[in-house]
Amino acid sequence: MNKIHLTINDNQFEAEPGATIMEVALENNIYIPHLCYNPDLVPGGICRLCRVEINNDKLALACRTPVEEGMIVRTNTPEIDAAIRPIVELIIADHHSTCRGCPANGKCELQKIMAHLHIDRRRIDNLRLPQNDLPLEALTPFLDYDPNKCVRCGICVQTCEKIYGTSHIYFLNRGYDTKIAYFETVAHCDFCMECVKNCPVGVLIPKNV
Amino acid sequence: MITADFRAKAETEWQNITDPSVPQIFIGMATCGEAAGALSIYKAMESALIKNRIKARIHKTGCLGMCYCEPMVDIIKPGRPRITYKNLTPETAAELITDYLINDNYRPDLALGVWGKEFDGIPNLFQLDFMKFQQRTALKNIGVINPEDISQYIACGGYKAFEKALGTSQQDIIYEVEKSGLRGLGGAGFPTGLKWKTCYKARYSPKYMICNADEGDPGAYMDRSLLESDPHSVLEGMLIAAYAIGCSRGYIYIRDEYPLAIKRMAIAIEQMRQYGLLGDNILNSDFSFDIEIREGAGAFVCGEESALLASIEGNRGMPRHRPPYPAESGLWGKPTDINNVKTLANIPSIIINGAEWFAGRGTESSKGTAIFALTGKVANRGLIEVPMGITLRQIIYDIGGGIPDGKAFKAVQTGGPSGGCLPADLLDLPIAFDSLAAAGSIMGSGGMVVLDEDTCMVDVARFFLDFAQQESCGQCIPCRLGTKQMFEILDDITKGNGKQTDVDVLLELSDSIVKTSLCGLGRTVPNPVLTTIRYFRDEYDSHINDKQCPSNVCQALINGGQSDE
Repeated sequence: MNKIHLTINDNQFEAEPGATIMEVALENNIYIPHLCYNPDLVPGGICRLCRVEINNDKLALACRTPVEEGMIVRTNTPEIDAAIRPIVELIIADHHSTCRGCPANGKCELQKIMAHLHIDRRRIDNLRLPQNDLPLEALTPFLDYDPNKCVRCGICVQTCEKIYGTSHIYFLNRGYDTKIAYFETVAHCDFCMECVKNCPVGVLIPKNV
Repeated sequence: MITADFRAKAETEWQNITDPSVPQIFIGMATCGEAAGALSIYKAMESALIKNRIKARIHKTGCLGMCYCEPMVDIIKPGRPRITYKNLTPETAAELITDYLINDNYRPDLALGVWGKEFDGIPNLFQLDFMKFQQRTALKNIGVINPEDISQYIACGGYKAFEKALGTSQQDIIYEVEKSGLRGLGGAGFPTGLKWKTCYKARYSPKYMICNADEGDPGAYMDRSLLESDPHSVLEGMLIAAYAIGCSRGYIYIRDEYPLAIKRMAIAIEQMRQYGLLGDNILNSDFSFDIEIREGAGAFVCGEESALLASIEGNRGMPRHRPPYPAESGLWGKPTDINNVKTLANIPSIIINGAEWFAGRGTESSKGTAIFALTGKVANRGLIEVPMGITLRQIIYDIGGGIPDGKAFKAVQTGGPSGGCLPADLLDLPIAFDSLAAAGSIMGSGGMVVLDEDTCMVDVARFFLDFAQQESCGQCIPCRLGTKQMFEILDDITKGNGKQTDVDVLLELSDSIVKTSLCGLGRTVPNPVLTTIRYFRDEYDSHINDKQCPSNVCQALINGGQSDE
């Protein structure tokens, strides 16, 4: 198969046909903000953060757009920034206030995005923050769930689905109240820990049992 | 099986109703009529007939669309025209029986209009202000026929279009619909013919046909009235679409909150089966098709077509990425055509009268008619079907009779939570898909809420964002968090806790949500905020800066924020 040639931020790259912009960019150490993307899973495209500009024209999701010959991609235009910065600020405003003690501290995708975009905390003060932290919830017999940190990216759901065919955990409720819940079905969670490993922000906390 | 014989029999039967030998009484019994008291009217009239030993027939019809006159009753006395009576009570309804049917006093004081020429001081119903500017095609049968009787629909020309379609090639039907310029009346306005063509050309089978009856905009009830008052027109549209595209199975997705519409639709489908209009080899042709009703479970977002598909499949109602569009890969990955109730109800008349006739009305880019549920602070509330290009002023003042109680007009909200509020300056705006979009609103599915001077526009924006944040599916982050955040900010503003930065934050958030959301819901829900800021910025400023609600609506800000206690 012939390689595909494309330009990302003025640099030339070669890629396999069928690869997505996200795959090519990450492979070449170009960071594109993302929360719901995981290389092992089908791109959900629901965090909406991996916007890139294609051929000096429209914005598209890097995780769901396959590369094309001669494509010109930009990952850092002012339009992209204007589109995604408010979203990231919303996530942070809704997120647990401190990173101290968080198991994801240091490897957290949200921290990475904040650093990448140089998020200004003062702008977040203009938003309305949740009044109180919600309590931890016992998700499965083995896991606690922290709704204050969860970005509802669905990676845990997809991970479980991939391994077991049907997911033990799934979305519950609607709108802002959407959260992850345990649906005890035919099979029980056997504590494979894959969802914990894949969570981008450290929402799932193994219990000491 | 619709033989000439059967059609002739249905027509004779209808003739016996419209030109009867015994009095015929028609009671409007759609949800709106029943809510206004039609059930007790029915009982009162029935017992008055029994008590006075009068032989008469009572028909349950749908809704004529004149909500401001409910409950309504029509009476045809032998040799007399059909007279419509308005705002009846059980007492006046019983009086009508004795006064009109026994003593021949047709009670002009209770009458609204006559179906036909003016009759002894009672005006022609269709020359009333509310009716005379309308051009009813999709709504032509509502309130006229009994929706639970297929023979009345057939007598009024029903299923003729389908019979004609069966004798035409699939391509020709699609070409006709394409040429007519009909655009989807569910809100987005996508050309119907193009959708059909894409689905027709898709190579996979089976193909599915879905009627989207998940109407959920606050203040909108066009689809409900149509389903309850003339279900067969929608079903005939579905049959024609399914035949043209080559679908073998159809679904009607009706929201669970419309029990009467579901009931009447189920009756209509059953009757279609009896008359060979559904099932294998319909009317002895090669075309086989069947329809099933699916009830929604209460999520507004399931009106979005890809979320609707997920819901029918038994999944959580969350929109999917598009492309691929449902016409190529829809229900269970198969090509699926999804049309709104009103779009489908327009199809039979396009097939009968031709594309040129349909395209002869409306504007350059929006053909035909638009159906609105005209509600709010307007004298004549109801369901209207008007040619595209009519102005807001004509709708609100000529048809709607203006604002009651001598109040001033402030704004009109179209398109529900995805639409916007348009101010008095735009009253002369011609209504079409593009003109409304340019003004910051949308045509939407047809909700039109008139607001008077006593309405606080910040409060209106807050109301719609409250709705949006509850009805967001919660899947994509901009919509889930953005609608909540915007609601919290608006809520604060109406409670006197607004910050100087709030309007800028709202604009910035709106822009971002519009650009980044996954589905049409997220991409349009900032519209109520954007339009109220665009046209009523001063109200935001007085709430935030002066802690005053100019319309005296926001409780916390009345008396300059000083509570009486």
